[in-house]
Amino acid sequence: MKKTILILALALNSATMFAQKKITTSGVINFNATTSLDPLPKAENKTVVAALDTKTGAIAFEAIMKSFSFANPMMQDHFNSSSWLDSDKFPTSTFKGNITNFRTVNLKKDGTYQVDVAGDLTIHGVTKSVTSKGTIVVSEKVIAANADFNIQVADYGITGKGIDAGKVSKEPKITVAIEFK
Amino acid sequence: MSDNRKKLKSIILLVIIVVFAFAGGVLYVFTKKFTDITKEKVDYTISAFDLINEFKNNDSLANKKYAEKIITVTGLVTEVESADTTVNIKMADTTSGSYAIFAFQQQNLTEAKAIKEGDKVSIKGSCSGGAYSQILETEFITFKRCALTK
Repeated sequence: MKKTILILALALNSATMFAQKKITTSGVINFNATTSLDPLPKAENKTVVAALDTKTGAIAFEAIMKSFSFANPMMQDHFNSSSWLDSDKFPTSTFKGNITNFRTVNLKKDGTYQVDVAGDLTIHGVTKSVTSKGTIVVSEKVIAANADFNIQVADYGITGKGIDAGKVSKEPKITVAIEFK
Repeated sequence: MSDNRKKLKSIILLVIIVVFAFAGGVLYVFTKKFTDITKEKVDYTISAFDLINEFKNNDSLANKKYAEKIITVTGLVTEVESADTTVNIKMADTTSGSYAIFAFQQQNLTEAKAIKEGDKVSIKGSCSGGAYSQILETEFITFKRCALTK
Protein backbone atom coordinates (compact mmCIF):
# COMPACT_ATOMS: atom_id res chain seq x y z
CA MET A 1 0.00 0.00 0.00
CA LYS A 2 2.79 2.38 0.97
CA LYS A 3 4.63 1.43 -2.22
CA THR A 4 1.55 2.20 -4.35
CA ILE A 5 1.15 5.59 -2.70
CA LEU A 6 4.83 6.34 -3.29
CA ILE A 7 4.61 5.33 -6.94
CA LEU A 8 1.45 7.39 -7.40
CA ALA A 9 3.07 10.35 -5.68
CA LEU A 10 6.13 10.15 -7.92
CA ALA A 11 3.99 9.77 -11.03
CA LEU A 12 1.92 12.79 -10.05
CA ASN A 13 5.04 14.79 -9.33
CA SER A 14 6.61 14.04 -12.71
CA ALA A 15 3.28 14.74 -14.39
CA THR A 16 3.18 18.18 -12.83
CA MET A 17 6.84 18.71 -13.68
CA PHE A 18 6.07 17.97 -17.31
CA ALA A 19 3.01 20.17 -17.18
CA GLN A 20 5.07 23.12 -16.00
CA LYS A 21 7.53 23.01 -18.92
CA LYS A 22 6.09 24.49 -22.10
CA ILE A 23 7.89 23.52 -25.28
CA THR A 24 7.83 24.56 -28.88
CA THR A 25 9.78 23.26 -31.86
CA SER A 26 8.78 26.11 -34.16
CA GLY A 27 10.24 29.19 -32.53
CA VAL A 28 11.33 31.95 -34.91
CA ILE A 29 14.59 33.86 -34.66
CA ASN A 30 15.55 36.61 -37.08
CA PHE A 31 19.03 37.84 -37.44
CA ASN A 32 19.66 41.17 -39.14
CA ALA A 33 23.19 42.31 -39.90
CA THR A 34 22.26 44.59 -42.79
CA THR A 35 23.87 47.98 -43.25
CA SER A 36 23.24 50.93 -45.53
CA LEU A 37 25.84 49.36 -47.83
CA ASP A 38 24.33 45.91 -47.96
CA PRO A 39 20.73 44.80 -47.47
CA LEU A 40 21.54 41.11 -47.83
CA PRO A 41 22.91 39.79 -44.52
CA LYS A 42 19.67 38.86 -42.82
CA ALA A 43 18.11 35.49 -42.20
CA GLU A 44 15.29 33.71 -40.46
CA ASN A 45 15.26 30.44 -38.55
CA LYS A 46 11.75 29.03 -38.15
CA THR A 47 12.53 25.76 -36.40
CA VAL A 48 14.02 26.89 -33.11
CA VAL A 49 13.45 24.61 -30.10
CA ALA A 50 12.41 26.58 -27.03
CA ALA A 51 11.26 25.84 -23.50
CA LEU A 52 9.63 27.90 -20.77
CA ASP A 53 9.27 26.71 -17.20
CA THR A 54 5.94 28.17 -16.12
CA LYS A 55 6.80 27.77 -12.43
CA THR A 56 10.26 29.34 -12.35
CA GLY A 57 10.41 31.52 -15.47
CA ALA A 58 13.45 29.68 -16.77
CA ILE A 59 13.70 30.02 -20.52
CA ALA A 60 15.92 28.31 -23.07
CA PHE A 61 16.28 27.95 -26.80
CA GLU A 62 18.41 26.06 -29.32
CA ALA A 63 18.84 27.02 -32.96
CA ILE A 64 20.51 24.94 -35.67
CA MET A 65 22.75 27.46 -37.47
CA LYS A 66 22.22 26.09 -40.97
CA SER A 67 18.51 26.62 -40.47
CA PHE A 68 19.02 30.38 -40.75
CA SER A 69 17.65 30.84 -44.23
CA PHE A 70 18.98 33.66 -46.42
CA ALA A 71 17.45 34.86 -49.68
CA ASN A 72 20.80 34.75 -51.44
CA PRO A 73 22.80 31.51 -51.91
CA MET A 74 26.18 33.21 -51.54
CA MET A 75 25.20 34.74 -48.20
CA GLN A 76 23.91 31.35 -47.03
CA ASP A 77 27.26 29.82 -47.89
CA HIS A 78 29.40 32.55 -46.34
CA PHE A 79 27.38 32.66 -43.12
CA ASN A 80 28.06 29.00 -42.38
CA SER A 81 31.63 28.95 -43.66
CA SER A 82 34.67 28.56 -41.44
CA SER A 83 35.54 32.24 -41.80
CA TRP A 84 32.18 33.30 -40.31
CA LEU A 85 29.95 31.22 -38.04
CA ASP A 86 31.82 27.96 -38.78
CA SER A 87 28.61 25.97 -38.52
CA ASP A 88 30.29 22.62 -39.18
CA LYS A 89 32.22 23.12 -35.96
CA PHE A 90 29.48 24.95 -34.03
CA PRO A 91 26.22 23.59 -35.38
CA THR A 92 23.92 25.19 -32.82
CA SER A 93 23.45 28.43 -30.90
CA THR A 94 21.80 28.28 -27.51
CA PHE A 95 20.36 30.49 -24.83
CA LYS A 96 19.78 29.48 -21.22
CA GLY A 97 18.36 32.01 -18.81
CA ASN A 98 15.52 33.37 -16.78
CA ILE A 99 12.79 35.93 -16.78
CA THR A 100 14.17 37.95 -13.89
CA ASN A 101 10.90 39.72 -13.02
CA PHE A 102 8.85 36.54 -13.32
CA ARG A 103 6.96 37.39 -10.14
CA THR A 104 5.16 40.14 -12.08
CA VAL A 105 3.97 37.69 -14.74
CA ASN A 106 0.78 35.66 -14.38
CA LEU A 107 0.76 33.09 -17.17
CA LYS A 108 -2.75 32.04 -16.22
CA LYS A 109 -4.18 35.50 -16.84
CA ASP A 110 -4.61 36.99 -20.31
CA GLY A 111 -2.59 40.14 -20.73
CA THR A 112 0.64 41.72 -21.89
CA TYR A 113 3.59 41.55 -19.55
CA GLN A 114 6.86 43.47 -19.91
CA VAL A 115 9.69 41.18 -18.95
CA ASP A 116 13.40 41.32 -18.28
CA VAL A 117 15.41 38.35 -19.45
CA ALA A 118 18.96 37.46 -18.48
CA GLY A 119 21.05 34.46 -19.34
CA ASP A 120 23.90 32.90 -21.24
CA LEU A 121 23.98 33.12 -25.02
CA THR A 122 26.33 30.78 -26.86
CA ILE A 123 27.21 31.56 -30.48
CA HIS A 124 30.22 30.30 -32.42
CA GLY A 125 31.33 28.35 -29.35
CA VAL A 126 31.54 31.46 -27.17
CA THR A 127 29.24 32.04 -24.19
CA LYS A 128 28.38 35.52 -22.99
CA SER A 129 25.92 36.88 -20.44
CA VAL A 130 23.19 38.87 -22.10
CA THR A 131 20.15 40.77 -20.94
CA SER A 132 17.13 41.87 -22.87
CA LYS A 133 13.73 43.39 -22.45
CA GLY A 134 10.83 41.48 -23.89
CA THR A 135 7.11 41.04 -23.81
CA ILE A 136 4.94 38.08 -22.99
CA VAL A 137 1.40 38.13 -24.26
CA VAL A 138 -0.96 35.58 -22.76
CA SER A 139 -4.10 35.08 -24.78
CA GLU A 140 -6.44 32.13 -24.53
CA LYS A 141 -3.80 29.70 -23.28
CA VAL A 142 -1.22 30.74 -25.89
CA ILE A 143 1.93 32.31 -24.46
CA ALA A 144 3.70 34.49 -27.01
CA ALA A 145 7.19 35.59 -26.01
CA ASN A 146 9.02 38.28 -27.99
CA ALA A 147 12.34 39.95 -27.50
CA ASP A 148 14.92 41.75 -29.51
CA PHE A 149 18.44 42.65 -28.66
CA ASN A 150 21.72 43.44 -30.36
CA ILE A 151 24.91 41.49 -30.02
CA GLN A 152 28.48 42.57 -30.73
CA VAL A 153 29.82 40.04 -33.24
CA ALA A 154 33.35 40.60 -31.97
CA ASP A 155 32.26 39.33 -28.54
CA TYR A 156 31.64 35.95 -30.12
CA GLY A 157 34.89 35.81 -32.06
CA ILE A 158 33.19 36.64 -35.35
CA THR A 159 35.30 38.84 -37.59
CA GLY A 160 35.63 39.29 -41.31
CA LYS A 161 36.32 41.60 -44.22
CA GLY A 162 32.61 42.24 -44.69
CA ILE A 163 32.35 43.70 -41.21
CA ASP A 164 35.41 45.89 -41.74
CA ALA A 165 34.04 47.03 -45.09
CA GLY A 166 30.78 48.15 -43.45
CA LYS A 167 28.71 45.56 -45.30
CA VAL A 168 27.91 43.44 -42.27
CA SER A 169 26.79 45.12 -39.07
CA LYS A 170 29.13 44.94 -36.07
CA GLU A 171 26.07 44.66 -33.87
CA PRO A 172 23.34 42.69 -35.61
CA LYS A 173 19.85 42.62 -34.21
CA ILE A 174 18.43 39.33 -33.03
CA THR A 175 14.63 39.09 -32.87
CA VAL A 176 13.06 36.19 -31.04
CA ALA A 177 9.37 35.27 -31.47
CA ILE A 178 8.23 32.13 -29.71
CA GLU A 179 4.72 30.81 -29.19
CA PHE A 180 3.99 28.25 -26.54
CA LYS A 181 0.64 26.57 -26.91
CA MET B 1 49.17 56.35 -86.77
CA SER B 2 45.51 55.74 -87.55
CA ASP B 3 46.12 52.01 -87.29
CA ASN B 4 47.53 52.36 -83.76
CA ARG B 5 44.67 54.58 -82.70
CA LYS B 6 42.21 51.99 -84.01
CA LYS B 7 44.02 49.29 -82.05
CA LEU B 8 43.98 51.40 -78.90
CA LYS B 9 40.26 52.07 -79.31
CA SER B 10 39.59 48.34 -79.66
CA ILE B 11 41.63 47.54 -76.60
CA ILE B 12 39.88 50.20 -74.52
CA LEU B 13 36.50 48.91 -75.71
CA LEU B 14 37.50 45.37 -74.83
CA VAL B 15 38.62 46.40 -71.37
CA ILE B 16 35.36 48.28 -70.80
CA ILE B 17 33.35 45.23 -71.89
CA VAL B 18 35.34 42.92 -69.60
CA VAL B 19 34.97 45.26 -66.62
CA PHE B 20 31.22 45.55 -67.16
CA ALA B 21 30.88 41.79 -67.61
CA PHE B 22 32.83 41.21 -64.39
CA ALA B 23 30.77 43.80 -62.50
CA GLY B 24 27.62 42.25 -63.90
CA GLY B 25 28.73 38.82 -62.76
CA VAL B 26 29.50 40.04 -59.26
CA LEU B 27 26.16 41.85 -59.05
CA TYR B 28 24.39 38.70 -60.18
CA VAL B 29 26.02 36.53 -57.52
CA PHE B 30 25.32 39.09 -54.81
CA THR B 31 21.66 39.61 -55.68
CA LYS B 32 20.63 36.21 -56.99
CA LYS B 33 17.82 34.55 -55.07
CA PHE B 34 17.53 30.85 -54.35
CA THR B 35 15.82 28.88 -57.12
CA ASP B 36 12.33 27.69 -56.26
CA ILE B 37 12.93 24.37 -54.51
CA THR B 38 10.49 22.56 -56.78
CA LYS B 39 12.89 23.25 -59.65
CA GLU B 40 16.04 22.15 -57.79
CA LYS B 41 17.72 18.81 -58.46
CA VAL B 42 17.21 16.27 -55.67
CA ASP B 43 20.36 14.90 -54.04
CA TYR B 44 18.68 12.22 -51.93
CA THR B 45 15.27 10.59 -51.53
CA ILE B 46 14.70 8.92 -48.20
CA SER B 47 12.00 7.99 -45.69
CA ALA B 48 11.72 10.07 -42.53
CA PHE B 49 12.23 6.89 -40.53
CA ASP B 50 15.55 6.09 -42.23
CA LEU B 51 16.74 9.69 -42.12
CA ILE B 52 16.07 10.01 -38.41
CA ASN B 53 17.85 6.73 -37.73
CA GLU B 54 20.92 7.80 -39.71
CA PHE B 55 21.16 10.96 -37.62
CA LYS B 56 20.54 9.12 -34.36
CA ASN B 57 23.24 6.59 -35.13
CA ASN B 58 25.91 9.08 -36.10
CA ASP B 59 24.93 12.67 -36.47
CA SER B 60 28.42 13.89 -37.49
CA LEU B 61 28.43 11.51 -40.41
CA ALA B 62 24.82 12.28 -41.29
CA ASN B 63 25.53 16.02 -41.14
CA LYS B 64 28.48 15.67 -43.50
CA LYS B 65 26.30 13.70 -45.88
CA TYR B 66 23.06 15.68 -45.79
CA ALA B 67 23.65 19.27 -44.66
CA GLU B 68 22.78 21.83 -47.37
CA LYS B 69 21.65 19.05 -49.73
CA ILE B 70 18.24 18.99 -51.39
CA ILE B 71 16.35 15.99 -50.04
CA THR B 72 12.92 14.52 -50.67
CA VAL B 73 11.62 12.96 -47.46
CA THR B 74 8.54 10.74 -47.34
CA GLY B 75 6.69 9.99 -44.16
CA LEU B 76 3.71 10.40 -41.92
CA VAL B 77 2.89 13.88 -40.66
CA THR B 78 2.83 13.75 -36.88
CA GLU B 79 2.28 17.45 -36.28
CA VAL B 80 1.40 20.64 -38.13
CA GLU B 81 2.80 23.65 -36.28
CA SER B 82 1.45 26.97 -37.40
CA ALA B 83 2.03 30.49 -36.19
CA ASP B 84 1.39 33.89 -37.76
CA THR B 85 3.57 33.59 -40.81
CA THR B 86 4.98 30.12 -40.48
CA VAL B 87 3.81 26.60 -41.07
CA ASN B 88 6.14 23.78 -40.12
CA ILE B 89 5.38 20.15 -40.83
CA LYS B 90 6.85 17.57 -38.49
CA MET B 91 7.56 13.87 -39.02
CA ALA B 92 8.47 12.34 -35.68
CA ASP B 93 9.55 8.92 -34.54
CA THR B 94 6.90 8.47 -31.87
CA THR B 95 8.95 6.10 -29.69
CA SER B 96 12.03 8.26 -29.26
CA GLY B 97 10.55 11.66 -30.00
CA SER B 98 13.31 12.37 -32.53
CA TYR B 99 11.95 14.25 -35.51
CA ALA B 100 12.48 15.94 -38.84
CA ILE B 101 10.79 19.34 -39.24
CA PHE B 102 10.11 21.17 -42.50
CA ALA B 103 9.78 24.95 -42.84
CA PHE B 104 7.96 25.76 -46.09
CA GLN B 105 8.91 28.31 -48.77
CA GLN B 106 6.81 31.47 -48.78
CA GLN B 107 5.20 30.49 -52.10
CA ASN B 108 4.14 27.10 -50.72
CA LEU B 109 2.64 28.19 -47.39
CA THR B 110 -0.94 27.68 -48.59
CA GLU B 111 -0.35 24.05 -49.49
CA ALA B 112 1.43 23.54 -46.16
CA LYS B 113 -1.59 24.87 -44.27
CA ALA B 114 -3.77 22.26 -46.00
CA ILE B 115 -1.68 19.35 -44.70
CA LYS B 116 -3.20 17.36 -41.84
CA GLU B 117 -1.77 15.21 -39.07
CA GLY B 118 -1.75 11.62 -40.28
CA ASP B 119 -1.24 12.53 -43.94
CA LYS B 120 1.43 10.57 -45.76
CA VAL B 121 3.47 13.14 -47.69
CA SER B 122 6.61 13.70 -49.68
CA ILE B 123 8.42 16.94 -48.86
CA LYS B 124 11.38 18.40 -50.72
CA GLY B 125 13.67 20.85 -48.97
CA SER B 126 17.16 21.99 -48.10
CA CYS B 127 18.47 20.02 -45.14
CA SER B 128 19.99 22.18 -42.40
CA GLY B 129 21.45 19.18 -40.64
CA GLY B 130 20.59 17.70 -37.28
CA ALA B 131 21.61 18.09 -33.67
CA TYR B 132 20.87 16.61 -30.30
CA SER B 133 18.53 18.88 -28.36
CA GLN B 134 19.42 19.23 -24.69
CA ILE B 135 15.95 20.69 -24.13
CA LEU B 136 14.05 17.81 -25.70
CA GLU B 137 16.66 15.07 -25.14
CA THR B 138 16.11 13.86 -28.69
CA GLU B 139 17.72 14.27 -32.09
CA PHE B 140 16.14 16.86 -34.35
CA ILE B 141 16.72 17.51 -38.03
CA THR B 142 15.57 20.76 -39.63
CA PHE B 143 14.77 21.66 -43.23
CA LYS B 144 14.27 25.03 -44.89
CA ARG B 145 12.74 26.26 -48.19
CA CYS B 146 10.41 23.26 -48.36
CA ALA B 147 7.57 22.35 -50.68
CA LEU B 148 5.33 19.34 -51.20
CA THR B 149 6.43 17.04 -53.95
CA LYS B 150 4.71 14.17 -55.73
